[in-house]
Amino acid sequence: MTLLYLAALLVALFGMVMLDRRFTLFFWRDARRAGVVLAVGVLFFFAWDLAGVGGGIFFRGETSFMTGLQVAPEIPLEEIFFLALLCYLTMNVYGALTSRQHNPGAAP
Amino acid sequence: MTYWALNAIFLAVVLATVVIASIVERRRLNWPALGITLAVLLVMTAVFDNVMIGIGLVAYNQSLISGAFIGVAPLEDFAYAVAAVVGLPSLWVLLGRGRHERGRAMLKALFVSSRPLSWINTAFPFAAAYILTTQRIDLTLVLGTIYFLVPYNLAMYGINDVFDYESDLRNPRKGGVEGALLDRRMHRPTIIAAILTNIPFLAYLIVVGGSLSWLVLAISVFAVVAYSAKGLRFKEKPFLDSLTSSTHFVSPAVYGLVLAGAIFSPQLWALLAAFFLWGVASHAFGAVQDVIADREGGISSVATVIGARATARLAVVAYLLGGVLLLFTEWPGPLAAILVLPYAAVCAPFWNVTDADADTANRGWRRFLLLNFISGFFVTMLMIWWRLTT
Repeated sequence: MTLLYLAALLVALFGMVMLDRRFTLFFWRDARRAGVVLAVGVLFFFAWDLAGVGGGIFFRGETSFMTGLQVAPEIPLEEIFFLALLCYLTMNVYGALTSRQHNPGAAP
Repeated sequence: MTYWALNAIFLAVVLATVVIASIVERRRLNWPALGITLAVLLVMTAVFDNVMIGIGLVAYNQSLISGAFIGVAPLEDFAYAVAAVVGLPSLWVLLGRGRHERGRAMLKALFVSSRPLSWINTAFPFAAAYILTTQRIDLTLVLGTIYFLVPYNLAMYGINDVFDYESDLRNPRKGGVEGALLDRRMHRPTIIAAILTNIPFLAYLIVVGGSLSWLVLAISVFAVVAYSAKGLRFKEKPFLDSLTSSTHFVSPAVYGLVLAGAIFSPQLWALLAAFFLWGVASHAFGAVQDVIADREGGISSVATVIGARATARLAVVAYLLGGVLLLFTEWPGPLAAILVLPYAAVCAPFWNVTDADADTANRGWRRFLLLNFISGFFVTMLMIWWRLTT
């Protein structure tokens, strides 16, 4: 049970990667640029989380669905994957909607 | 701080990103696509957030949220989705290649205009003052340091470059690391970027600070704007120019102290006064090399008015006076008095400089820039020593 949430996030992320690959949406469009956007996105939201936790606004719930590992006080390991999923999903949807601007010849 | 106040700060950063992207890459940002992406993400957030909260993955402090909910999800949570949808594609567009050369050139111009070599000069006084008082690293320290590292300097030097355009054209020194020659097309984006990068940080600092800190911050920002903005142009008012310039570097330290709740002892005042004199001397000496360029550009400074020689002497005396004041600070502060001697020594060769060969003072100025990094190291060591003894 402790791996349930993490596993769900990883499955969803795997789906994002497959869609990205199949339809040339994000990393398969420009890997370097996608890497920067994803890294900046995750770090930005992580800072937001840290500030929220620091301000006592929200905190980790006690559940049996999580590993219990924390990357920072009150921030579970799973949060990093959740933030990555949020960013990846956003860029995949935006990528799908703007694919006409893209030169299809650049596909791998 | 409430959840909405927190969101306001982070959303302001996102807003700044999208505005910059829409200015720099006007045709690249696809607004209908953004709208549809937003709709998709909001719906998905509504579903998943309700599930996550429902099964207890996350909980909220009821007193800090507004009480508006979509199901069991606080309305504030949707700010994450908005930030992702607006911020990430903006960043994606800004990082684009090929046709986007103009945007990259613009970012590079903004970067150069903010004087990366000088970033540390404003961030360090704030960070040192704050951390020596609170003795801990917190969000205010991090955000305040970032503010005085980049946005503050972008505002200060960006505004300066825009309003100095005419005189800079005649000054061959201002094309590299020491100062940017800002293309006329860059003027509007520079001002916009300065405003947009400053607002989120100022908003945060105002939220976390008390009324005295607002006053100091207001003086600091006023000095940044008044130094070169049209109508005020303190940089063209002899003596007021050096005083304002020194305020640019000392006020972040005073602000850090006030924000951290420091007690202003006579020793601390002596230290701040010494720092201020150092700033005055440095500015005055910096103006010596520009006497001819400034006169031709119709700009007056302390040096164009009292002359290169008197200004160089003023700098030497102000450095030494600062050294004397340091003798009255708390141990090991008096040791820092030694550090003003190299500065006086750098200026001393120009004790008899004439207006005609004032540009030779650039040699001294280059040594001054190097000296700052060396002195910065020793000042840091002294601060650590002081911290260990108290």
